[in-house]
Order: sequence, then C-alpha cells, then structure tokens
Amino acid sequence: MRIGRLHQFVPTFEPGAVGAHMLELRRLAHEVLGVEGEIFAEHIRPSMAGRARGHREYGRVFRARPGDVLVYHMAIGSVVADFVGERAEPLIVDHHNVTPAELFERWEADAAYGCSWGRSQLPELAGRAILGVADSPYNEEELRAAGYRATATAPILLDLEALAGAEADAGALEGLQAAKAAGGADWLFVGRVSPHKFQHDVVKAFAAYRHLYDPCARLHLVGGSSSAAYWQALQGFATALGIAGSVSLTGSVSSGELAAHYRSADVLVCLSEHEGFGIPLLEAMAHGVPVVAFSSTAVPGTVGGAGIVLQSKAPATVAAAVHRVVSDPALSQALVAAGAARLEHFSLERTRARWVEVLTQ
Amino acid sequence: MSDAIDHPQLLAEIDAEVRRRRESGELPADFERELDLVFARFAPVHAIGDDFAQVLERTEQSTHIDVLAPVASRTPGLGFVKRVIRKGVGWEMRYVAQQVSTFAFGVTRAVRLLAQRVEHLEQSGPGAGGRLLAMARAEAPPVDTAGWAPVVLDAVKGAPGRVVHAECADGALVAHLVEAGVDAYGVDPADQVPPPGLELRVDEAVDHLRAVADASLGAVVLSRCVDLLPLGVLAEMATIVRAKLAPGGVAVVLSSQPGAWTGVAADLAPGRPLHPRTWCQLLGVRGVSTMEVLEAPAEDGGASGAYAVVVRFPG
Repeated sequence: MRIGRLHQFVPTFEPGAVGAHMLELRRLAHEVLGVEGEIFAEHIRPSMAGRARGHREYGRVFRARPGDVLVYHMAIGSVVADFVGERAEPLIVDHHNVTPAELFERWEADAAYGCSWGRSQLPELAGRAILGVADSPYNEEELRAAGYRATATAPILLDLEALAGAEADAGALEGLQAAKAAGGADWLFVGRVSPHKFQHDVVKAFAAYRHLYDPCARLHLVGGSSSAAYWQALQGFATALGIAGSVSLTGSVSSGELAAHYRSADVLVCLSEHEGFGIPLLEAMAHGVPVVAFSSTAVPGTVGGAGIVLQSKAPATVAAAVHRVVSDPALSQALVAAGAARLEHFSLERTRARWVEVLTQ
Repeated sequence: MSDAIDHPQLLAEIDAEVRRRRESGELPADFERELDLVFARFAPVHAIGDDFAQVLERTEQSTHIDVLAPVASRTPGLGFVKRVIRKGVGWEMRYVAQQVSTFAFGVTRAVRLLAQRVEHLEQSGPGAGGRLLAMARAEAPPVDTAGWAPVVLDAVKGAPGRVVHAECADGALVAHLVEAGVDAYGVDPADQVPPPGLELRVDEAVDHLRAVADASLGAVVLSRCVDLLPLGVLAEMATIVRAKLAPGGVAVVLSSQPGAWTGVAADLAPGRPLHPRTWCQLLGVRGVSTMEVLEAPAEDGGASGAYAVVVRFPG
C-alpha cells in the first residue's frame, strides 16, 4: 500500500502498552518509511499532553490530505471508531482485543457496556478496513471471524530490553527483599485488578499453596483498579481466608516499583480468562521470572512453551505447579532460559521488521 | 526453545502430585469448594452462582443503605466540598434511604418465608434424602458390579485422573479397580468399615460430586443412586459429572431397565431407572463425546434388564 502519512487514532491516549506501541509505530514510520503522522484521541491523559490531538481536529483544524492512511487501535467501544469509520481515507484496524462484556457485566455494568460497544464496532469497521492487524494469532482469528478480508499478525511494539534493564525503585526493592529474608516464596501477578483477570483465582491457588507447601509465601497483585467492587471483594476474600497480611494489592505502581516486584518474584502466576496478548508474561521472561499460566485466549501463543501452561486452574493444580517451579532449581532455570529465548521472537528489532513488512505489503 | 523441558511429562507429574495430596487427605475433597463459597460472600449478588441460600444471605446484607458516602479526595479542597454536600443533603438522604431499606428488608423477609415453605413442601414429599428413599434403597435389587467389573475396568483404564464409584455399597468394584492398578475410591451414604487399603467415603453421591473441584476426576462410575433418585437430581448429577471430569474423562452408568424394575422399591423410590438412551442424552455432548450402551445378558441368554452406559469425553 502507498502511504503518504500514517495517522493513528485511539479512544484514550495514555501511558501503557498501547500508548508506547503507538509512539514506537510513529517513530518507525518516520525512521524507516519516511512517513510522518499524528496521534489523535478522544481523551488524552495529562502526562501525554502535547503528543496527541483531539480526534475531531482531523479534517478540520488539521487538514486531511490525499495519501493519508488511518490506523485505529481497537480495545474498547468509542466514538473514535465511528469517526474513523465515517472517513474516506484507507483504514487499518490494529486489534488489541476487547474484553467480552460477560466477564464484566456482573461486576461493572458501565465497563461491560464499553466492551459490548467495542465488540459491536469491530465487525462494523470490517467493511471499511483495507487491513486488520492483530497482536496475536488469537486476535487475528477474531478479526477473520468479524469479517476482515485482509489480516496480518504483528506483535505490539515493545522494548523488552529497556524493560529488563529498568532500574528498580530502591525503597520498594529493599522492602520486598526484607520480607523475602524471612522465608517464603513470592508470587506475582501484574495487570489491572479486574474481573476478567481473575485475580481471585490466583488468591485461591495461593491459599492452597500456603496450605500445602509454604505457609510463609506472599502474593503481590500489582496493577491499578478497573473495578472498585472487585477490588473490595479481593480484599475481603483475603481477609476471610486469614491471609490478608500475605496478599498485597499494590494499586498502580511506577516503572521502578514494577521492576522491584519482578526482581523479587519467584514466579509469575497468570490465571486470566481473557488476554489479547499478555504483556506481563513477556515482562516476566525479560526479568528472568518463571511463568505459570492458565491456558486461555492468547496466553499459550504468547508463552509459546516458555512457561508452564495449565489446562486446569484448580487451586491445587496451580499450587502444585508453582511448587515444582519454586522447589526445582533445574526446572526454574530451564524456564528462565526458555523465556529468554522466547523473547527473541518479540524483540523490538523483529517486531519493527514485521510492522514494516505489514505496512509495505 | 523449550527442548530441555518435557511439558507433557511435567504436567503429568503435577497431576500426580495433586492426586497424591488428595489421597493423603492433606487436600480435603471440599477444600476448593470452600474457597469458592468464601469468595462468593464478597462477590456482588448477581456475580455469585445459583446457590439460593448464599444469594438470599447476600441480598439481606445489602438491604441496609449506607448514606455516608466516602468524602476522601486527592484533589485539594474537594474533600471539604464533599463533606459540605454530605452534611447538607444528609437529612433527605436518610429519610429516603430508611424507606428503601425498610422495603428491601420486607421483600427479603418475604422471600425467606417463601423459601421455608418450599423447603417444608420438599421435605413432605418423597425427596432425594428422605425416609422413603432409605427404604427404597434397602429394597432395590442389587447391582451386579462383579459382572460389570471388566467393562468398567476397560472403560476407566488410563483415565486422566482419579476414578470415583458412587454409590459403591461395600466397595467390591472399587477393590477390583484398585487391584488392577486404577487410582479409585468409593462414595456411599452407608457408613461401613472399608477393607484395608480401600478408600470409601461416607457421603451422598451428588453431594460428594458437587464438592470436588471442576475437571479434577478421571472417571465417574454411577450405580444404584441412578435407579432411585428423582429425575431432577439425576439431570443435575449428569451436569455435575460433566463439569467434574477432566478432558478425556469417562462417565459410566450401571443401571436397570425401567421395565425390569418392580417391587417395593418401585413404589417407594422417588425416581425410576432411566432408559440407557436417556443417559446418553443427559451425559453426552452430541458430536463431541462417544457413547456406548452395553446390555447385561441373563443366565438364559436373554436380556437381564441391566445395562451399562459408557460416555467418553474428548481429551
């Protein structure tokens, strides 16, 4: 395809994986393809101000030109999808996946509405899109099912080397290491505290692990909240099980605090029922943390044999798997080595090359 | 990449470890069910399952309306504004909330009374756990588990997990399976001293199956209860069995033909034996599972009236 300028649209431009991916894609288009482009969004977080424009500026304040190609980043329902759907410029939909509403509706009706809206917009854009790009083969399958004629898989642009080298927050690391010195394994889960991530299943498995193997173990649930009700339920659950002192819900953390948690973790446990890609799985591999995960959606494709992927998330099964990882240094080292090898597949060099391939096909 | 890790072997070892912990009693059968119940206490009413008692309890807990909205704020001054608003409209909020709470409490109280009446009706009828069932159980013709042992062994050999026989009576079939190297245990409502080395648990079949973790059993063998329990319980049992079986699991039903079942038990039992094809409908998933029906021959070469249904689920 011939691209004059590559403009990206997103419902909310904010720090995080998609925001970083968009900035990297803009850099790539400029450096490799010699193509300029702007970022447009309905909502722009203060920390990203100056790097993006309001989406309604496109075609008005910001003149559209022949040769413009629009990229829409799909993750939730938004008026921005309707906006790009009504434009005449060639459209590429970059599908980061939309959480199925049923995983939210019993907890957060508002969020469920946004999800079902996004799910309905995905096929609506199929007729308009010249190409559907997906983070993972799982997402690409969804694009095909939604009626996209031309599709491709191109992983999210993620600087894993920078992640691995991120400096840990000294204070946070000291606190975590002090707790570790008292004995017991450190479990880690990274992701929004949200019903579809099923952190309560991690707590169940952790309770089984403490009961069967390690009464001194600790669980760190790192990530901001997407559901106040779910957050409170997790806190109440841990308290009722008598393990509140060993389960920490950190809320949003800085990159340094996140690095400190990865440095201190013995294992990353992911029992999420919906992942369009699963960036924390790769982050864990980048930090040399073995992965134990439940086989759902894009998780097996992202882990790719570099972690223990379970078909069942029965608490006893997860606990036994973690026990194997923690108590078997040879297995732990093999998983870390497999993770390091797996990261090659998602290196920025390779994913950038893949994106160039997709955009120039 | 992961050549050094034999994943199938590793997963098999993890499953074996879980089985060992369950067998040793370190992991009680209802441990995971208890975790589910505890979490349900904190989930919104509409996010917990279909357990009536829990739903009612959670609804009752939410009848009180808290008018003291949180006023904390990270924005300077906003907390003060919130406090002023709360103080200003508090009297009206309390007035409305009191009426809504009274109404909600009245509704939940009415539902609880209704539940008590339903429970009373259930107990006055020939229910699954009543006196008549115990009498029917004593009068029902015995299941020829010895005759079916080779069929059951063939069906459950290599099952992807533990094998449970419910109701196992004296555990003869369980003993046969254990001797053949199958990791099997039995469940029966009658309390009896098990032979050495045999694991027999005292419990109702459906209660036990409800309590075990999903996808944790390799095979479920059902006998006796399938001839006696009410149709609704049997249908529920079929659903539970499907949920509790691991991928590649096997369900076996040893039962009597309805036509061959006569006598005192037929009058007293709340349920009747089902046709084998009915079990296929209840247990099987068309196009996904494979089903086999075997008729037991009588001594004269004709049909004895007993049958076995074997349903295999995909791995």
